[in-house]
Amino acid sequence: MNALEITGLCKTYRGKRQKIVKALSSLDLTIAPGEIFGFLGPNGAGKSTTIKILMGLIQPTGGTAKIFGTPVINSASRQRLGYLPENPSFLDFMTAREYLAFVGRAFSMHKSDVKKETDRVLELLALEGAANRAIRHYSKGMIQRLGLAQVLLHDPDIYILDEPMSGLDPIGRALVKDILRDLKSRGKTVFFSTHITSDVEIICDRVGIIVNGNLMAVDHVQSILQSGIEGYVIQLVRDKMVTEEVFVEKERLKSFISDLSASDVEIERIEPKRKDIEKFFLDIVAKGEYVAVE
Amino acid sequence: MATFVNLLSANFRSILRDRIFLAILIVALLFFLLVPSFSLFSMRQVQELAVTLCLSTISLLLLLVSVLQGASSVWRDVEKRYTSSLLGLPVSRATFVVAKFAGIAVTLVCCTMLLGALALPAISISAAQYPSDIPIHWMNIIGAIGMDCLKYILLSAVALFLSTVSTSFFFPFFGSVAIFFAGSASQEVIEYISGDYGKSLTPAAKLVINIVYYLLPNFSAFNLKVAAIYGLPFPFKGALYTFLYFIVYTSILLCLSVWSFTRRELP
Repeated sequence: MNALEITGLCKTYRGKRQKIVKALSSLDLTIAPGEIFGFLGPNGAGKSTTIKILMGLIQPTGGTAKIFGTPVINSASRQRLGYLPENPSFLDFMTAREYLAFVGRAFSMHKSDVKKETDRVLELLALEGAANRAIRHYSKGMIQRLGLAQVLLHDPDIYILDEPMSGLDPIGRALVKDILRDLKSRGKTVFFSTHITSDVEIICDRVGIIVNGNLMAVDHVQSILQSGIEGYVIQLVRDKMVTEEVFVEKERLKSFISDLSASDVEIERIEPKRKDIEKFFLDIVAKGEYVAVE
Repeated sequence: MATFVNLLSANFRSILRDRIFLAILIVALLFFLLVPSFSLFSMRQVQELAVTLCLSTISLLLLLVSVLQGASSVWRDVEKRYTSSLLGLPVSRATFVVAKFAGIAVTLVCCTMLLGALALPAISISAAQYPSDIPIHWMNIIGAIGMDCLKYILLSAVALFLSTVSTSFFFPFFGSVAIFFAGSASQEVIEYISGDYGKSLTPAAKLVINIVYYLLPNFSAFNLKVAAIYGLPFPFKGALYTFLYFIVYTSILLCLSVWSFTRRELP
């Protein structure tokens, strides 16, 4: 069973003067259990709309979405799910500890487990010092950390995170990356939206790029990086002194190396020069072409 | 059920930590201390005035709590984007709305019990100063306070319904206040037009007035203050019908609130 299954998902709004705005056009996507999926797209591309439909916050105009086989319109679909909204906001009259206890009860966790897990996630997210302070006195970064804490509390099987790095300082961002790597190692499924391509490159198994409500590309991060090799930068050494660096195109690498073997020049280092995910993303957005490599 | 209780408890705590609510409650509590003194302003009806002041104070507090909490309930959660985090939990929208209502209703019941418990000694002390010829009918007073509580729970259901369809605080607030005044006066209007004045009205006008009368909640049916103040026989049958009316009307409003909120697109 797929962790997430989206079929023909559409969403249209009525804008000003009854103008129809297409926020999502026939989105098809499946995410397998244990996969870390990055959902990339420029502002207004439809990332948050997709996530809100998955969370039942807005209704699709057409199509279906299922989480572990349960349609998202059923609140039971969220029983095995942890959700972090974009710019989250929590019941701010509560303290972090009270809010986490509230979340634990919502997931029918045992009282002793709630206490144990609350202590664990508060420590993990470095919020122990503020655990008994009302959330209304938290900074933006602390609220984001609390959002991650409540997501991790009940150890769900799938995580849907809308811009999880938003509002975090470099220490917080590094922490989130570590958490995502840990989830990956424990076989959890993560679906997260982001603007930051380097995060996708480091963490994700697959990436989907959405532009103007259309899913333009779905591919494995490794194959994007592999196919993106444009050539190699080769460092040459003559008489044990670094002499020069040359760029060799991908197709010419073999012949270049064989030519060198006849000379007295040694190869010190060969580095692939590749398009990164950012370049790939920008190309897709610019071309507006659909690429699907599963 | 556990989810419902969890949400209800969170809503109840949210109201208890609301500074405006606490301020109103403290003012009402302080007022009860002054009831024995204020009752002396009436030369011959000290006991009757004490009962009137206590019942009116309870009414005013419940009115403010029901309108403010009901009108701001769903609207505030949407505005502050609490709904995106709360509905991200395994919570259905129906549970969310009903728990919201239940949180307000529990608050109104607790306030009624607290103020009612203070009203009884305040009336006793006042009545002891200048004993009246009319004996104090404690059951009538308790019955009137109970019916008042039901009235304001119904009003909070009206405010909650308006809050589920609104994108601002003003519509549910002023809407529920307007419905409260109209619903409190509708019985008198219908009785007035059934008399001589009604003969001068066109059948269409009468029909419109009748439709409005049946659509609006009839708040005057919950008013048993006169029986409590003057020790008149308590209308048990009427109170039972009013209670059934309360159950049906509140259930309809809750169904409409759930239906409206389920269709709403959330930020």
